[in-house]
Amino acid sequence: MSPQPARFAEQAGLGLFLVIAAIVLLFAIAAGTGIGEMSIPLQSTFAAVTNRLGWTSFELPPIQESVIWDYRLSRALVAACCGAGLAMSGAVLQALLRNALAEPYVLGISAGASTGAVGIIILGIGAGTLTLSAGAFVGAFAAFAFVALLSNGARGGPSKTILAGVAASQLFNALTSYVVTTSGNAQQARDVMFWLLGSFGGVRWPEFYLVLSVVLVGLVICLYFSRALDAFAFGDDAAASLGIPVGTVRIVLFAITALITATIVSMVGSIGFVGLVVPHAARFIVGPNHARLLPTCVVTGGIFMVLADIVSRVILPQQILPIGVVTALVGVPAFSIILYRSRSAV
Amino acid sequence: MSPAKSAAAFIALTLCLGSASAPAVAAPTSYPLTLDNCGVQVTFDKAPERAVALGQNSAEILLMLGLGDRLVGTAFWPTKVLPELQDVYDKVKLLSVETPSLESVLAENPDFVAAQLPILMGPDSKVAKREDFDRLDIGNYLSPGICATTLDTKDAYGSRATLWNMDYVYQEIDELAQIFDVADRGQALIAQFKAREAALRERLGTDSQDLSFVFWFSSPSPADDAYLGGKNGASGFIADLLGGHNAIDTEAEWPTVSWEGIMAANPDVIVVASVDRNRWDLDRAETKIEFLRTDPAVSQLDAVKNNHIVVMQGAAMNPTIRTIYGAEEVGDQLENLGLAK
Amino acid sequence: MTIEADNISWSIGKTQILDRVSLAATPGEVLGLLGPNGSGKSSLLRILAGLRKPHSGTVTLDGTELAHLKRSAIARRVALVEQHASTEANVRVADVVKLGRIPHRLPLSGWTRADEFATSSALERVGMTARRAQYWQSLSGGERQRVHIARALAQTPTEMLLDEPTNHLDIQHQIELLRLVANLKLTSIIAMHDLNHAAMFCHRLVVLDNGLVVATGTPEAVLTEALLREVFRVEARLEPSPYHGKPHIHFLP
Repeated sequence: MSPQPARFAEQAGLGLFLVIAAIVLLFAIAAGTGIGEMSIPLQSTFAAVTNRLGWTSFELPPIQESVIWDYRLSRALVAACCGAGLAMSGAVLQALLRNALAEPYVLGISAGASTGAVGIIILGIGAGTLTLSAGAFVGAFAAFAFVALLSNGARGGPSKTILAGVAASQLFNALTSYVVTTSGNAQQARDVMFWLLGSFGGVRWPEFYLVLSVVLVGLVICLYFSRALDAFAFGDDAAASLGIPVGTVRIVLFAITALITATIVSMVGSIGFVGLVVPHAARFIVGPNHARLLPTCVVTGGIFMVLADIVSRVILPQQILPIGVVTALVGVPAFSIILYRSRSAV
Repeated sequence: MSPAKSAAAFIALTLCLGSASAPAVAAPTSYPLTLDNCGVQVTFDKAPERAVALGQNSAEILLMLGLGDRLVGTAFWPTKVLPELQDVYDKVKLLSVETPSLESVLAENPDFVAAQLPILMGPDSKVAKREDFDRLDIGNYLSPGICATTLDTKDAYGSRATLWNMDYVYQEIDELAQIFDVADRGQALIAQFKAREAALRERLGTDSQDLSFVFWFSSPSPADDAYLGGKNGASGFIADLLGGHNAIDTEAEWPTVSWEGIMAANPDVIVVASVDRNRWDLDRAETKIEFLRTDPAVSQLDAVKNNHIVVMQGAAMNPTIRTIYGAEEVGDQLENLGLAK
Repeated sequence: MTIEADNISWSIGKTQILDRVSLAATPGEVLGLLGPNGSGKSSLLRILAGLRKPHSGTVTLDGTELAHLKRSAIARRVALVEQHASTEANVRVADVVKLGRIPHRLPLSGWTRADEFATSSALERVGMTARRAQYWQSLSGGERQRVHIARALAQTPTEMLLDEPTNHLDIQHQIELLRLVANLKLTSIIAMHDLNHAAMFCHRLVVLDNGLVVATGTPEAVLTEALLREVFRVEARLEPSPYHGKPHIHFLP
């Protein structure tokens, strides 16, 4: 009989873990608010926040107060929500597709977003009434609809869905290239690619309210289906034999992850690795049960993304390192460590 | 005459003419000044004293208006600054050669931000939105050339249906000059550019030859399709100024064309751009010329055999004040080649 | 408490997989489902479990048609143990067995005492209690099958359907598993290949060939040399075993 390795957070421990993780997340957000290119003393950071909350009215340089509240705090909160959303979507997709390498962009969402974006910028669709983000969102959802159709409403099974996702990515990337090559100019092409390159620079408070709502709704729905997600571990038939309405659950969960991912991509571009690695890290800490995994993904993803954004802002003087680079640089070694540790645990 | 010398000559000439014969060119600005800027009403209560320029063209315009002492930061320089502005440029803080961060801009405590491109300031920008500045009472101004095309052609960034011209640049010079209460300098600068335009047309533009031009920006490698300046963009404008036309017919602003296509167009003159960003070998003018001369097929082009190859700064292919400089560069070389009338 | 199939027909594309198949299981009996590869056994089990809709015919559970029952209601009664249900997930034995409680759990309810009791007794019955915290990935084939059966038991079913459960097990585990199922006192329908095991452990047999039922009845009645020759294409001699009294097949090499 092999030894039973102790998992960090079993039943009773989970609550404690989540509380601690939530506190860490709050600290991360605070760090994101206090750290930045402009050096603002810590008291001023506090004062700015309490001022804007209406609790105090300290004298502060308006620029500092604005940077803290309108820019850094909203940015940190959006980063937390995006990390949470991507991690949660990644976990759900890994369960639905029974594939440890599944991640939020596997349904062609990011490719669709790029096509939507070029449609707005280069083809002028919407004649200036649609923002770039709106166009990217429509494109992302069009790609998802295409995947849903091709994979027969996701009843085709995981392989079909993944292949449909590959097809969608290829198709929409080709469309993007076509539009850029035939109608665009080098500046536009550069602008679109730059825009898609994952960055939290363009987010303010309105984006926070939007992404928070979407992620919260998504979390509630995914938690509701957490047992179904557990049941998928042994395949669709096994899940059905346990009473799960497989077709319905799949399409609802695919749609929810698509919605979350499309919202995030159209807001901040493509940020990789979070949706892939965080679920594995979370599983390593709390195990594969989705009622525990999903909340863990949410807080862990949030912490990861906020910290990655801080790094991306301060690591190079005068410049912002694309956040996709940071997540990759951290994600790859983290993933390797997790793989290595989990081998010896079994 | 070299372009720099032409410019200096014209500045001198125009200022003389202006001060001698013209009445008061422009009155001092009366504040508050309200302008319609890209569909937004912007109001200024006084001339800015701490300006940040986001974008090379906006920065160069401000420097040419002699506002270097009121400029506290610049960012986004795809090419090197105009040589005649180098001294003033060195005195201004460079926030970033690429896109800057919002914090670095705000750290300079600006009271005015002029932006050249939507990626630098606008609803889709990852750097700044106009509201970021509005809420701090920092005046903001976006280059009219960029947003005008949205309204005209219903095309967000302008694949141009009609030939570009310098009007939007002049509008920008005029408006910026008004904002800073140096309207007279603005008018003088505009007059100077207009005179240079006119001189070029006079010198070369009335030519019945109607030369066809290909403007080669760069290519990733000799075998790849080349990035050319389009028919209606700044390149087309230069061609038109010099009495010719762009050999490339498509309306895209930066068409990629294969060498086969370029040979089929059989241009009279090939303009190779000197691009100073160092991304591809072919960015450099010398490399381009070498390719033209040594490629077995392309070297058979009439333009190459007759050595009708001219070099121009790459910056001129963007619709900015540099376009005029580029046109003058090309014009001079055309004269030397005996292609002018 | 019976599960009954009445004139089930099913095809995939143009291929007819099942052709007017009928069978009825009586409460508590172990029904062996036999037939060569491709005879439709797996498909029939899936239709009986309500996972596939037959193109004609009905399956009834105590007289109620499956089509009229909610999926979770079916799952509370009928448990399916598949051939090769595997997972990459790093689950533990207890996690797998707990899955069996899903049909019984209400959306927002926590883990009840009934859930715990069902899970523990299921583990007890398959003899895996001591290993409840062991990782799935470290179990042998036989142990995994036992865990699957425990999961099925945790569903507290009245009918259990098993699809070739002994396929990749060594002989010890094959016998142990069949003995276990036979002692469960549930209505069990087991698809299997080993004819002698079928004779030993099943009360009745149903033989399928090319989607048709070719024989139904006790092992003594069904297993004949003619059947073995025509359906299974083997030469054999039969006699009642002196050791357990059931028919024993001597295959001729």
